[in-house]
Amino acid sequence: MLHWRSCAVAVLSCACALLVFGDALAKLSRDDAQKLKDPVPFSRKSIDRGRVLFFQNCTSCHGENGKAEGSLIADATDLTTPDLYKSGTTDGEIFRSIRDGAGDQMPAFKSQIDKETDIWNLVNFIHSLWPESKRPALQDDSK
Amino acid sequence: MSENTKQKAESSGQKAESNSQPSRRGIFSSIGAAAAAAAIVNPGKMFAATTPIPSIRIPKDITDSLAEPTRLGAFDAKGGMTGAELFAKSCKGEDLAALFCCPGNYQIINAISAAGIPAFGGRSEGSMASAADGFSRCTGEVTACSGTEGPGFTNMIMNIAVAHRARTPLLVLASNVTIATDDREFFIQTGYQQPTTEGLKKYGKRLIAADRLHEYTAYAFRYLKTGVPGPVHLDFPGEIYNHRFSAESEVKEYYSKEKYRADARPHPAPAELAKAVDMINRAERPVIVAGHGVFFRKAWEPLMAAAEKNEVAVVTAGPMRGHFPDEHRLSASLSPDAFMSADLVVFVGQYSMPTKQERWRFNPEAKAIRVNPTGEDLGRNWPLDLGIIADEGAFLEGLASNLPRKKRDAWVAELASARQKYEKQLLDEYEQGVKHSQATNTVHHAVVCKEVHDFLYKGSIDPKLTVTGWGGWTIGNAGARWLRAYRPGQEVNCPYQYSAVGPDLAMMIGAGAAVQLGVGPQAAYKGAPVLVLTSDAGIAYSMFELDTAAKYKIPVICVVYNNNSWGMWPSAVGTPRSMHMYLFQENLRYDKMAEGLGARGEYVRTQEDFRKALKTSYEVAAKERVSTLINVQALKEFTSGKDYPPGNIINPEPGVGALAH
Repeated sequence: MLHWRSCAVAVLSCACALLVFGDALAKLSRDDAQKLKDPVPFSRKSIDRGRVLFFQNCTSCHGENGKAEGSLIADATDLTTPDLYKSGTTDGEIFRSIRDGAGDQMPAFKSQIDKETDIWNLVNFIHSLWPESKRPALQDDSK
Repeated sequence: MSENTKQKAESSGQKAESNSQPSRRGIFSSIGAAAAAAAIVNPGKMFAATTPIPSIRIPKDITDSLAEPTRLGAFDAKGGMTGAELFAKSCKGEDLAALFCCPGNYQIINAISAAGIPAFGGRSEGSMASAADGFSRCTGEVTACSGTEGPGFTNMIMNIAVAHRARTPLLVLASNVTIATDDREFFIQTGYQQPTTEGLKKYGKRLIAADRLHEYTAYAFRYLKTGVPGPVHLDFPGEIYNHRFSAESEVKEYYSKEKYRADARPHPAPAELAKAVDMINRAERPVIVAGHGVFFRKAWEPLMAAAEKNEVAVVTAGPMRGHFPDEHRLSASLSPDAFMSADLVVFVGQYSMPTKQERWRFNPEAKAIRVNPTGEDLGRNWPLDLGIIADEGAFLEGLASNLPRKKRDAWVAELASARQKYEKQLLDEYEQGVKHSQATNTVHHAVVCKEVHDFLYKGSIDPKLTVTGWGGWTIGNAGARWLRAYRPGQEVNCPYQYSAVGPDLAMMIGAGAAVQLGVGPQAAYKGAPVLVLTSDAGIAYSMFELDTAAKYKIPVICVVYNNNSWGMWPSAVGTPRSMHMYLFQENLRYDKMAEGLGARGEYVRTQEDFRKALKTSYEVAAKERVSTLINVQALKEFTSGKDYPPGNIINPEPGVGALAH
């Protein structure tokens, strides 16, 4: 179970995000996205939940290892190499890419992953694919 | 045509049509006949500028041919029975449902048609293979396709692969030169067929001994009718089909199907069935994935009985849908968000198993039971808590008998809530699509699909009546979300698993032939039109089969989503120099091409016009058995969510919209 402080941070962050976006369903601008911080701790539990969502929604284009080695579409982003990201690598930019879509190919997932906490879990899973030196510090699930 | 002849023709399952034409074409026919008559009187003026162009019409030769009486070969006939006739007789005995072919492999296709098996000749072997596939997908019956040796055979390869991935019981036939000239490149069309279908078939054999022809026909039908179905490929050298038999004793292993194969069904061991019953009964949120095997075994009634008795959710999967009705309160096919809650998944006849790393939305911690008619696939891709080797029908009958009655109100409510949410998502997408359509004077894919949905299921037509199919990328994904299946064999998932571009129309012409003949689950809907949603990229592969549909009066409404491009055009965005390879000329007129092939054409750019075109096309199809191609102009940019959100959505699986498994 998430610690109350984590929950409070998540709730506050979502509330702040609403203030930034106004309409939660409207597309985020890249500037607004860059202001967002991941409200869900980068924890094993969040990564595991993100992995389930990743398998259910992302592997047909990004592959089961995130390296986008398949051929369904060209130019799917290799998620293991943040230097190759085309739509930004901040927490909020990744959140935006998932929620609102990215580039010409990636559709918006906000209707399929309707809980913002789950999108953040997915952001955390994607962080877990990064080289260790670039990942956030792993947090204890009990905190 | 005499009444006697007509009766004989109808006894073969195919009607001999009179040469009467629909009213519009009837007028053209009259003009054409007048022109032809004038040309006979004064041939020199035949090509004068003022001479009306003869109309497209079905020649008398075709209607006469279809009215011919059927004829089986006989050992005591003059000249005996040929190998081709022997083979056709065996196929007839096995109730081969239909043959789709192009000329070539002449002796075999001629003998099959003469034997009274419904036979259809089309415009390309590949499309004919897919037509046979489509016939099978909506009936569960064994069908055949045929092509000539060499090019005709290799033209079928993509379509055989499609059938293989869908586990279709497709009998692939082809002539193949002679044994005497093997390896000599004698004359033309040399080819090694069996290695070519390696990996694309369940069983295959080049026949090299005429006296063993019946033995290998038995092999073919054993493979086609038992276990997990799949294509069987027989190639015939001339020495086989031309061989003449004058007595049964000249044919080895010549005995009837009752002796060369068994209709016995593997039943689950009592202890395994008891364990499955216990696991289902203990689960809080069990779901049955009713795959291809449930349809193939025609096991929809025990499925319904088992599900209702214990309130088990059901989601259908496979290359066809409808073996559990979408509108049923226990259907999970439109409730993808409920899958994560399922604590037990029972895969029944799910031949193409997903991995846990794909789009299937079940909780990876959920327990799993898998029931398959053979054992070699149990445990592949998905770890099992219980694997059962059994006929799907036998297993479901066992469940229906042994499961206790149980109410699962919370689970049923969750299914309903998830469904409501999913339908809301569809409506949100539709509303965005309406705005995009109005802003561009074209029709967005969500609008096309919602209109088809409302027309087929919310209007005056019996929602169970029309068999539908879908293909294409943007329109296919959207169509799959909106098409519904309320009875067995009502929806054909054309791109299932192999995701081929293009066989959609051909497949649905095959399905249409099945509906016209009223085969299997289509019996109650005999004669109804079928509808296919496809793309401008896809239609290029099989549009000429509109001629076949017209020729046999198979009424198809073919909706072509014309976005001037391959659906994958966004893959060129990163390398602009390559974009030209992904695009077509804009505003191509597929409706005009359809008219040139003897179908009707409709061209629409607005939602309202599309609605009218659907209505008119359906009426003409139902009343006059005339097909229509509706060319719906769209924009390629609708595929991308960048400017026209949400763009092309790949659907969650399983359930409506499932593409991969």
